[in-house]
Amino acid sequence: MSKSITGKLFFVLMLALFLVLAACGGDDEGNEEAGGGSEEGSEESEGSEGGEEDSEGSSEEETDPEDKIYDIENFPNQTSNEEDPIDGGHLNFGLVSDTVFEGTLQYNFYSGDPDSQILQFIDEAMLGMDTDHTYNNEGPATFEANEEEGSITFEIKDGVNWHDGEPVTAEDWVYSYEVIGHPDYTGVRYGTVGFTLIEGMEEYHNGEADEISGIEIHDEKSFTINYERLTPSLTSGGIWTYAMPKHVFEDIPVADMAESDPVRENPIGMGPFKVDSIVPGESVELTANEDYWDGEPNLDGVTVKVVNPNVVAQELETGGVDVVDAFPADQYPENSNMENVEWLGDVAGSYSYIGFKLGDWNAEENRVNYKPDEMKMGDVELRRAMWYAVDNNGVGENFYNGLRWNATTLITPWHENFHDESIETPTYDADEANRILDEAGYEDTNGDGMRETPDGEELTINFASMSGGESAEPIANYYMQQWEQVGLDVQLVDGRLLEFNQFYDRVGQTGEDDPAIDIYAGAWSVGSDVDPTGLYGPTQIFNFPRYESEENTELLEDGISEEAFDQEYRKEVYSDWQELMVEEIPVFPTLYRSEIYPANERVTNYDITRYAIEWQDVGVTQEEPVTAE
Amino acid sequence: MWKFIVRRLIITLPQLLLLSLLVFFMASLMPGDAFTSQIDPSLSQDAIEEQRERLGLNDPWYQQYGRWVSGVAEGDFGTSTAHYRPVTDLIWERMINTIWLSLLSVIFIYAIGIPLGIISGRWNDRLVDQIITGYTYLGFATPIFIFALVVLFFFGFTLGWFPTGGSVASGLEPGSFEYIVSKLHHLLLPALSIALIGVVGTVQYLRSEIIDTKQKDFIITARAKGAPESRVYNRHIFRNSVLPIAAFFGYEITMLITGSVFVEQIFSYPGMGNLFIESILIRDFPVVTAVVLLFGLAAILGALLSDIILSIVDPRIRIK
Repeated sequence: MSKSITGKLFFVLMLALFLVLAACGGDDEGNEEAGGGSEEGSEESEGSEGGEEDSEGSSEEETDPEDKIYDIENFPNQTSNEEDPIDGGHLNFGLVSDTVFEGTLQYNFYSGDPDSQILQFIDEAMLGMDTDHTYNNEGPATFEANEEEGSITFEIKDGVNWHDGEPVTAEDWVYSYEVIGHPDYTGVRYGTVGFTLIEGMEEYHNGEADEISGIEIHDEKSFTINYERLTPSLTSGGIWTYAMPKHVFEDIPVADMAESDPVRENPIGMGPFKVDSIVPGESVELTANEDYWDGEPNLDGVTVKVVNPNVVAQELETGGVDVVDAFPADQYPENSNMENVEWLGDVAGSYSYIGFKLGDWNAEENRVNYKPDEMKMGDVELRRAMWYAVDNNGVGENFYNGLRWNATTLITPWHENFHDESIETPTYDADEANRILDEAGYEDTNGDGMRETPDGEELTINFASMSGGESAEPIANYYMQQWEQVGLDVQLVDGRLLEFNQFYDRVGQTGEDDPAIDIYAGAWSVGSDVDPTGLYGPTQIFNFPRYESEENTELLEDGISEEAFDQEYRKEVYSDWQELMVEEIPVFPTLYRSEIYPANERVTNYDITRYAIEWQDVGVTQEEPVTAE
Repeated sequence: MWKFIVRRLIITLPQLLLLSLLVFFMASLMPGDAFTSQIDPSLSQDAIEEQRERLGLNDPWYQQYGRWVSGVAEGDFGTSTAHYRPVTDLIWERMINTIWLSLLSVIFIYAIGIPLGIISGRWNDRLVDQIITGYTYLGFATPIFIFALVVLFFFGFTLGWFPTGGSVASGLEPGSFEYIVSKLHHLLLPALSIALIGVVGTVQYLRSEIIDTKQKDFIITARAKGAPESRVYNRHIFRNSVLPIAAFFGYEITMLITGSVFVEQIFSYPGMGNLFIESILIRDFPVVTAVVLLFGLAAILGALLSDIILSIVDPRIRIK
């Protein structure tokens, strides 16, 4: 008798537990959906699995921050803590990544972004960079361009030393060129203008010469590089500015360098911090380089550790990390009330866009095969109407709480000197879209509610969109609905989102474009040089729309001509180019993006403008991190 | 017995070869390669193409396979395309982490599972048994990734008793006392998460075996002979009930190497499971192939070990 009662009681208990668990599950889902995904479409962050953001929840107080709209303009660039940094402070830097860091800790060999986040502490570019992305003379070295001779002379300042005390010499810097240009080099840095334009570089790279004839070393601290021609791309990021300690690497064959001890276990640089110890893939312990050329760092040490994106908010809240390299924007709204953290933000150098396939890739000639007449999207009016039909601000507000917003031209505000605000670009106007389509002859002739082509054929546009992040699918659907509202039948390729690798394979990163794709949603992160040739030049494989026109080619060439050393001229060229892209629409930008950087309240002198942080200045104002109550 | 072992080992070789062939072929069908993630306009495509060419990624898969097999024959598993280092080094580094984690989990599983199983079996249908059985049902029903997350947030973040990621605190001298303590500290939470969920099978097996054995004739005989209850349980019942657990031990060894993907992901623990997933995502095929082979080898050897253990502990089973 008593046994059966306990049995029943137990059953009831189990049932209750089950219900509680089920309720928790429901909650989590709600939060996940509201959270949205930051990773949609960006090249760098794909491949991560998005999910498991469940446990973030439980912060539905007050005004429900998840519905608030934010404006990146309102975020400061610098921490407001103005107290003096304490001596002997130690900073914890979170490397937000769901994989380990690879540990190739040498600028000439690294390929992954996590590694570069560690490198920024231990090594440094020889030339400083202005906020407008051009080199200046405030770094460890100075440069002077000689436009008549097409050469640039570099001089390393006194007191610039490697971590082992040896001075950084001209030979060290030239050594970088010799390693990267070497036929046995295993990294991915060769081939940009900073190398290929150097006289004699090709012979050296092909193994026909033992040294690079265009580089002359004058003395211990200075050398000249002779270029075939000068272009503004060189001085805005093209010059390879990282030196490599020759006395350390000299005896290692180039082919083995990437896996050698001074790259992996005892990396050496000239930056403000030295490597103390490395736990492979997980964390790096750094100590101040007292001999740093620009003065002793304020901090005594830094710990860099990998933090999973799922737990980064908790790590910040508990003071486990003070600052992070990137905060998932979709987690910002629910964490914006965090007490112990100050939120900084800046415009990001990336944009999302919709691209139209206007041709394919000619592998023999290594250039695009632009043939709009044969392509479904060949009519520019159709493309323009599709631009008018989408409400990008709506997408930015609904899915990103305003932290992404309507984009206008293909040069982002991140390049503030070149981004032309005055250009009128199509913004959401369904009536205008309808009008354009009517005029261009896209009418519904068979009464199915969808428009046909001017020739009266059924028009179904196949749309390739990338998976990743919670909001990838709703956003793709949102765009398709908006096109449907102006009578365009847009369908997902294969009826589903494509995984990152598959997406780029089919869009054409190997040159084998999938003819089943008519339009696609992509995203680009841009470099410090504003020159968009790499993405829209006629011989570039990344010119996925396969677009080419004389005017475009001309403008792109003008932008990197010698004349373009004149900022005003260059600006004009790129204004014209932005305008041309709005007229021709091989792609149209949808959203500009922002970056959010949290910092613990004890962090001072932390300035994230263009993410060029002067780590030697950063300090902390108290021993222990501030934690949330 | 020896014959049996040798025979099984001989079959292993073609099995592995077939497995590697399959993996290689399927990998070749996957879109993208190690350089797809380098879609970056600031890099030169020619330079990347050169690297593809250098690594032979443009060759047909059977050529790549041929090269790979001849490398393996010489003990060279290739170089990881993402990490720029020999695959064997990389795997070794991660395997040590996984072995420690799994070892601790297995210890926890036996330390928790065997007493619970015995108690539950000995006093079956009493309150204590119902509580234990209730726990096992809950354990069966709770997915490990949810449980691990809850554990992480409660003990790691809310209470702050345990570190929340990684395998060891940074800046410690390897081999020093602090280093070992820190390693253990980092291991406890993931190992407990695995154990608390993983233990339910062991408890259930042991419980039902004990209940089964309790009613056997030889137990009645033992009791009739006046053997004390503790002796009956510890000598006669326990020994006979532990068979399926012993048979399972071989598979537990497999787990030692393969690790737990979910738990490693949640605790950002750099072990084999994590390495496997990462390498697939970034298309680091030399690592993927080597890891799959290793997992295959572990599974085959684990099964073999199970058979051997079974034949040792249970003389009725004879391997011919």
